[in-house]
Amino acid sequence: MSTPLLTVTELVKSHLPNTRYWSRWNIRTAGRPALDRVSFSIMPGEILGLVGESGSGKTTVGRLVTKLTPSDAGSIWFDGHDITHMPERAFRPLRRHVQMIFQDLDGALNPNMTVRAILREMLKQNFKHTNGETIQTQLNDLLDNVNFPQSKLDVTPLQLSGGEKRRVSIARALACKPQLVIADELTTALDLPIQAQIANLLLDLRDKLGVSFLFISHDLPLVEFISDRIAVMYAGRVVETGSAVVLAQQPRHPYTRLLWNAHAGAVVKEELAATLFADIAQSGCAFAPRCPIFKAKGEPSRCTDPQTEPTLKLIEVRHQVACHFPL
Amino acid sequence: MIGKPHLEIEDLHAYFYSQQHGAFVRSVAGVNLCIRRGETLALIGESGSGKSVTALSALGLLRGSPGVVRGHIRLHTDKGPIELLAGLDRYVDYELDARGSLRISKEISAWERQSRKNFRDIHGKEIASVFQNPRAAFNPYLMVGAQIMENIRLHTPTKLHHEAYDQALFWLESVGLEPAAERFENFPYGLSGGMCQRAMLAMTLAAEPKLVIADEPTTGLDATLRTAMLELLMQMQRNLGFSLLIISHDLQVVRELSQRVAVFYNGVVIEYAPSQTIHNEYDAPRHPYTQALLDAQPVRLSPKPRKLIALRGEIPSPIGEPKGCRFAPRCNRARGTMAKRCENESPPFFSPEPKHAIACWLFANSPEAHAEEIA
Amino acid sequence: MRDHYIERANANANSTFVGPARRFTRWDYFSIAFSSLVFVALVCAFLANRFNGLPYVPDFADLGLILAPPGTPQHLLGTDFFGRDLATRLIASVDAYFLPALSAVALSVLLGTLLGLVAGMRGGWSALLARYVCTLVEASPRLLLILFAVTLYQPDIFHIMLIVGLTGFPALATQLQLRIRTLREQSFFDAALASGVSLPRVFITNLLWHHCRPLFLIHASQAMGEAILIETSLSYLGFGVQEPTPSWGNMVQTGSDYLLQGNFWPSTLPALAIAISLLAFYLFADVYERRSREQSRA
Repeated sequence: MSTPLLTVTELVKSHLPNTRYWSRWNIRTAGRPALDRVSFSIMPGEILGLVGESGSGKTTVGRLVTKLTPSDAGSIWFDGHDITHMPERAFRPLRRHVQMIFQDLDGALNPNMTVRAILREMLKQNFKHTNGETIQTQLNDLLDNVNFPQSKLDVTPLQLSGGEKRRVSIARALACKPQLVIADELTTALDLPIQAQIANLLLDLRDKLGVSFLFISHDLPLVEFISDRIAVMYAGRVVETGSAVVLAQQPRHPYTRLLWNAHAGAVVKEELAATLFADIAQSGCAFAPRCPIFKAKGEPSRCTDPQTEPTLKLIEVRHQVACHFPL
Repeated sequence: MIGKPHLEIEDLHAYFYSQQHGAFVRSVAGVNLCIRRGETLALIGESGSGKSVTALSALGLLRGSPGVVRGHIRLHTDKGPIELLAGLDRYVDYELDARGSLRISKEISAWERQSRKNFRDIHGKEIASVFQNPRAAFNPYLMVGAQIMENIRLHTPTKLHHEAYDQALFWLESVGLEPAAERFENFPYGLSGGMCQRAMLAMTLAAEPKLVIADEPTTGLDATLRTAMLELLMQMQRNLGFSLLIISHDLQVVRELSQRVAVFYNGVVIEYAPSQTIHNEYDAPRHPYTQALLDAQPVRLSPKPRKLIALRGEIPSPIGEPKGCRFAPRCNRARGTMAKRCENESPPFFSPEPKHAIACWLFANSPEAHAEEIA
Repeated sequence: MRDHYIERANANANSTFVGPARRFTRWDYFSIAFSSLVFVALVCAFLANRFNGLPYVPDFADLGLILAPPGTPQHLLGTDFFGRDLATRLIASVDAYFLPALSAVALSVLLGTLLGLVAGMRGGWSALLARYVCTLVEASPRLLLILFAVTLYQPDIFHIMLIVGLTGFPALATQLQLRIRTLREQSFFDAALASGVSLPRVFITNLLWHHCRPLFLIHASQAMGEAILIETSLSYLGFGVQEPTPSWGNMVQTGSDYLLQGNFWPSTLPALAIAISLLAFYLFADVYERRSREQSRA
C-alpha cells in the first residue's frame, strides 16, 4: 500500500478569513469554528470528492491546504513534508505541487492578461532555467492536454466562453506540473454538455498525468461519478468518508443519506423543512437538531454532550463515519 | 382551467448588434411559445441559446441594441387579451437589401417609452419574476417585510398599512419563514441563501401575479435547499394556480416542476416535448441535441462507466443566418446520407407522437406538426 | 432619434475575428494625434535648446525692430519690446521647465506608487496612515507652500518643482490603493500566489503592470499639465523663472504691458503656447481615462 499524498489531521480554523460583513450576521454559522477537526487523506492519483452544503467549509479546506490561509491547529502533511507551520520561503518549492482552481469563473483569471501571458507566467515561474523554445513546447503540450484552441491564445479571458475559461484555469494549474489539484466548484455555472467535457477532461488528466484531485462540489451525481472516494462535510466537520459507490448507495451517516435522498427527490418532508432553519448545535453532534435518528432515539444526551462529540470511526474497510448511531 | 392559453409568444425576434463583427447576434430568431393557464412550461438549453432573452422580452425588460425586432406577445388577462408589443413595430424598420445584408433601424427611446406604457399595469401584477440572485432583488437597507408590504400596497387592492402588514406576515408564513413577525424585521443580509430565496418568492407572490417567470430559481442552491425550494414552488402553484415559466439548465428541476418543455438551441426552439420524455429511463423520440443533454448527465450504473458522453464543441455564436439545421455541425447523426440535407435545409417541425414536435430531419417520416399544436 | 444597424454582407460565425475590443472614436483619434504632435514639438524644442538649434540667441535684442508684428521677414512671430525674437524665446522657454516638470512628475509618480502600493498591500494601519498623509497633503494649499519656499530660499525652478512633485502624489496614491484593494479580493490574485509567484512579483506584474498602467499614464500626463500651469502662474507673478531667462509665464507678464497699445503678440503667443500644451496633456489623459474605464467595464 502506497503512502498518502496529502494527509490532513484534526485541522481547525476558528473563523473565516476576510468575512464580508453580512456573513457575520448569518445565523447559521455565527459563533462556530469554520473548520472543526477535519481529517482526510488523498492517495496519489486519486480523486477525492468533497461535498456538503454551502457554508460547510469546503472552500476553506482548499485554502488551508494551499496555505493561502493559515490554519489554527492540526497538521497538514504533503508528500512526506509537514507543511503546517512551514514558512513561506521553505514552502515555495513545494507550492507548485499543490495547485488550486478557484470557484469563480471570471475572477480566477486576470482579465487584463491574454491567455498566453497567463500561461507563460506560470511556466516561467516554475521552470526558471529553461529557454523560450522549451516554454513554447510546454505551452503547446498544455493546450493539447486541455483541448484549448491555439487560435484563442492571444485573447483576454473576457472574450472566452465559460467552458474555455475553465480550460484555461485548468491549464494554468497544470502548468506547474502539480501532484495535487484542488478543484473548487469546477463545473458549477457551466452547461451540461460542457460540464461533461470538463469532467472527462479531469478523468483524462488523472489517467495521463497521474494528478490527484480534491474535487469540491455540490453537484452530487457528478461527484459520485467522478471521484474514487467522497468526504461529506457538515458545519465544518467531516462526517463521513468512504468509497464513492458505497457512500452514495449505502450511506451510514444520516446527513449523507439526507443529501442523496434530497437529490433524488425521495426525502421525508419534515426532514427537508428542517433544512431551512437548520440550527447547528453549539455542542455535541452538529447535525443533532436535524437528525431523524436523534429524534427517534428520544434525544439521547450522548449526541448533545460536548464530551462525547462523535468523531470519525472506522466502521467498515475504508469507510469512516462520525455518528454514534450509524445507519 | 388548464388548456386556455395564457401567454402566447409568436415569431419573436430579438437581435443584438455586435460592433466587433459588424453583424447581428440573432439571440432569439423566431420563437413560438404558448403557456396555458395553470401550466408550467420549462425552457432548457445552454447559456446563450436565447431562453433568458425570450423571458426578458415577455417581461418587457429587454434593453439593448436593437433588442426586440419583431414578433407578438399576447397576454390573456381576465379583461381579455392584451398585445404587449402593440404599437412598437412602427419604431422599427427591417429590411434585407439586395446583397443579402440586413439593415435594422430602431427608434430606441420612443420604443422603450411605448414598451413601458404597454407593460405599466402588467409588470409585477400580471407577470412577475423570480430571479437567480435573491439578494440582488432586495434593497439591502430595508427590512424584508417592509419590501413585501410595499409590493402588496402597490399591486393589490390592499392599501391600508395594517392590512398590508397582516398580508405580509401571511405570505412569509406561507413560504415557510416562521416566526413571521421576526422574519419580517430581518434585513436581507440576515437571511441565509435559502431563506432569502423564499423571502423573494413571498415578495413576488404577494402581488398575486397570474404568471410567474422563474429564471434559474435553484442554481447555486445545494441539494437539500434546492429540493425544498422545488417543493415550495409546486405547493404554491397548487394553492394559487398561477402559470409558471421556468428557465433552468437543471434537467431534474424541469422534470419535477413542468408539464411541457421547450428545448432551445442557438436562438430557436428545436423541440417541444412533454416533460416526462426528458428522462434517460424513458424511451422516447428525441432531438439529437436533447439526447446529448440527457447523456451528459452522470448516471449511476454498475460497473461505473469510464467517461461521460460529452457533446463535441461549444455552443456556436449565433451570428449570421445559418443555412441548414443549426445543430448540424455538432450533431453525430448528421452524417453520411443525412449530412447534405442537414447542412443545407432547415428542418420543419415533425410530430412523431401527439404533443411532441421535433425540428429534425431524422423524423421526416412523421407528419409535420400543425402550427397550433407546436406551441 | 433613430439608431441604425447595418450587417456586413457575408458576416458569419466562422469568420469571427477575436481580438481586443477597440473602441476609439473619431474624437479620440483627433485627441491622440493632436497631443502626440504637441509632445513631439516639445521634445524638438528641448533638443533644439540643447544642441544650438535656436534661430537667435534668446537674449539678443534687435533694437531696430522693437515690437515687430508677426510675419516680419527675419522674425516670423515678431519681436517683443526689446526687439528679441519671439519664436526663439518661445522655444527657449521649453528648456526652462521641461526637465524640472519631468522630474516633478517622476517624483510624484514614484511617491504615489510607493504609498499606494504599501497601503493597498498591507491594509490596516498603514492604509489608514497613507490616507491621512494624502488628506494632509491634499489639504495644504500648493501655491502658498511654494511661495513660502521661494521666500525662504530663492526663486529657483527646481525648488518649485520639488514642491510640486512632493505635493502631487495623493491623487495617484489613493487611486492606486483603491484599485489594488479591489483587485486583491479577486481569486486570480490568490491563484498567482498559490502557484508560487512571490508576493512582490504578483503585485508588480499582475496588478501594477496589467491593471494600473493606464492609471500611471493618466496621472503623469495630468501632473505634467499641472506642473506647467504652476510654473507659468508663478512666473507670471514674478516668483518663477526670472527675466531675462525666457519662460512662457514671464513672457505673458512682461508682454501684457503692451497689450492695450495694440501690440497683442508678445503676450498672446506665449499664452497660446501654454493653452496648447495644457490641452495636449489633458486630452491625452482624458482619452486614456475613458479607454481604461471602457475596458474595465467590458
